[in-house]
Amino acid sequence: MARYLYSSRIQFIFLLSMGILLLIPLFGLEGYRLRLLALVFMWVALAGCWNLMSGYTGYIDFGPVAYFGIGSYCTALLMIRGNLPFLLSLFLSGGVCAGFAFIIGLVTLRLQGAYFAIATFAVAEALKQIILEGDRLAGVEFFGGSHGLTLPPAPSELFFYYLLLFFMGMVIALTYLLSHTKFGYGLRTVREAGSAAELSGVPTLRVKTQAYMLSSSLIGCVGGVEAYWLTYIIPDDVFHIMRTIQMVIMTLLGGMGTVLGPVIGGSFLTLIAEYLGVKFVYDYLILVGGVIILVIILLPRGVVGEIKRRRGRSRWFF
Amino acid sequence: MVLLECRGVTKLFGALAAVQDFSFLLHSGEILGLIGPNGSGKTTLFNVIAGLYTPDQGKVFFRGKSTLGLPAHAICRLGIAKTSQIMQPFTDMTVWENVLVAALYGGNLPMARAVEKADEVLQFVGLGTLRDDPASKIAVPFRRRLELGRALATGAEVLLLDEVLAGLSSVEIEEALQLLREMRRQGKTLILVEHVMRAVMGVSDRISVIHHGEKIAEGNPREVAGNPLVIEAYLGKRYA
Repeated sequence: MARYLYSSRIQFIFLLSMGILLLIPLFGLEGYRLRLLALVFMWVALAGCWNLMSGYTGYIDFGPVAYFGIGSYCTALLMIRGNLPFLLSLFLSGGVCAGFAFIIGLVTLRLQGAYFAIATFAVAEALKQIILEGDRLAGVEFFGGSHGLTLPPAPSELFFYYLLLFFMGMVIALTYLLSHTKFGYGLRTVREAGSAAELSGVPTLRVKTQAYMLSSSLIGCVGGVEAYWLTYIIPDDVFHIMRTIQMVIMTLLGGMGTVLGPVIGGSFLTLIAEYLGVKFVYDYLILVGGVIILVIILLPRGVVGEIKRRRGRSRWFF
Repeated sequence: MVLLECRGVTKLFGALAAVQDFSFLLHSGEILGLIGPNGSGKTTLFNVIAGLYTPDQGKVFFRGKSTLGLPAHAICRLGIAKTSQIMQPFTDMTVWENVLVAALYGGNLPMARAVEKADEVLQFVGLGTLRDDPASKIAVPFRRRLELGRALATGAEVLLLDEVLAGLSSVEIEEALQLLREMRRQGKTLILVEHVMRAVMGVSDRISVIHHGEKIAEGNPREVAGNPLVIEAYLGKRYA
């Protein structure tokens, strides 16, 4: 049966890469490069979370940044106002995001296609406004409004390197393992229009909600990590629509509904934006846009999607 | 033993009664043919039983318990599986994976058992050789078999088969009928919605005829075929 479920080859490659990434800081990787690599991990993790929900179910979530923002603010507030240690705050923030996703999911996941995208987009924007204006309306000082929040001083860069590596590894492993479980198969049936999934006994609303909660809570955790990393958050940044768009584009570039898609798309886009940003300080976004358009024209299914199509059906890339 | 009962089921679409006060009993181990002209409400009735539509009046009972208000996936798990007239396989999955999902969720089996079940069902419906083909790429007769396979893999006792014979050649129909008889032998109870009259007549124990959403006749195939109301519904008054 193992032959249906797991490929030891892909497991080996995964563990090997994780091992190398664990060890390279010991061999003198530091400063800018260490930070850049940590940034890549962060985006791969975020794109991976988005892929877990939208890539597999086909439900295009256009507001994942809502959970990034909630995670950031929750972690910050628990640390500042609650004086809790960082990791505990982070853990609790993940829980808060899951709870929030449950409520939002129960309502929005009944919607189809574009309506779901619009609803999730609206939730993210609404949250930003609440945090911006909440203090003024209630006459208290809690969220910090547009001044943002300052977190306690952060530990070393290395700490974040390993933490983000952990989250990236977890998201990749989770996606891989899930795609071979009952839950993973259930998720993939949701994508099809019509009643086929329900008629096969799949409780579609429950499956979607669970995926949404899982994805959102992990996005929230990564948001919390970034908040502590940068030690300063403002609503306009942590709820910025660009973050949503990046998660979507990275997954599309790499290949939706594949394990390796977000890894390839996330690394590629983060690195190319960084490279072009250094070379062409003022017009790099135009170039990044050009690259994205080119890839979409040449590889409409994403990199991994295209490889899969050419090789015929290959379980290898799941 | 009565396995499934429809009691006074009515389903309205606006002012149109697609199904009107429809009742029938289905006994364990039986094959019931449900026939009627185009647009007579057969598929609507199936969708009500499967939980895709909520009836405006009346109820469906499975093993004496009302299924009113249960979502389709719960009804599937109770033991009523439906195949669709418009075949909708999960297109990005292989044939085997399509059946596996039904065994995992509909049959509520753990992975190892579901894997066995899926293989077993594929052999049974004659798709063993197409196991790893993408479900989107297989020909129509095989898609029909896949629909059957999916319904079987849920382990349901009652199978609602919506036009599983449509678009098949006479040889393929013969093979399909063979399959249906074999399913009954294995303890399944079937309701067939069909256009292919001769085939339904041959395989069904009882026939129920629906016209404009209402039942106009019921009985064994021979009685029904000779019923003037039925002939009128199908061919017009002149022939009745």
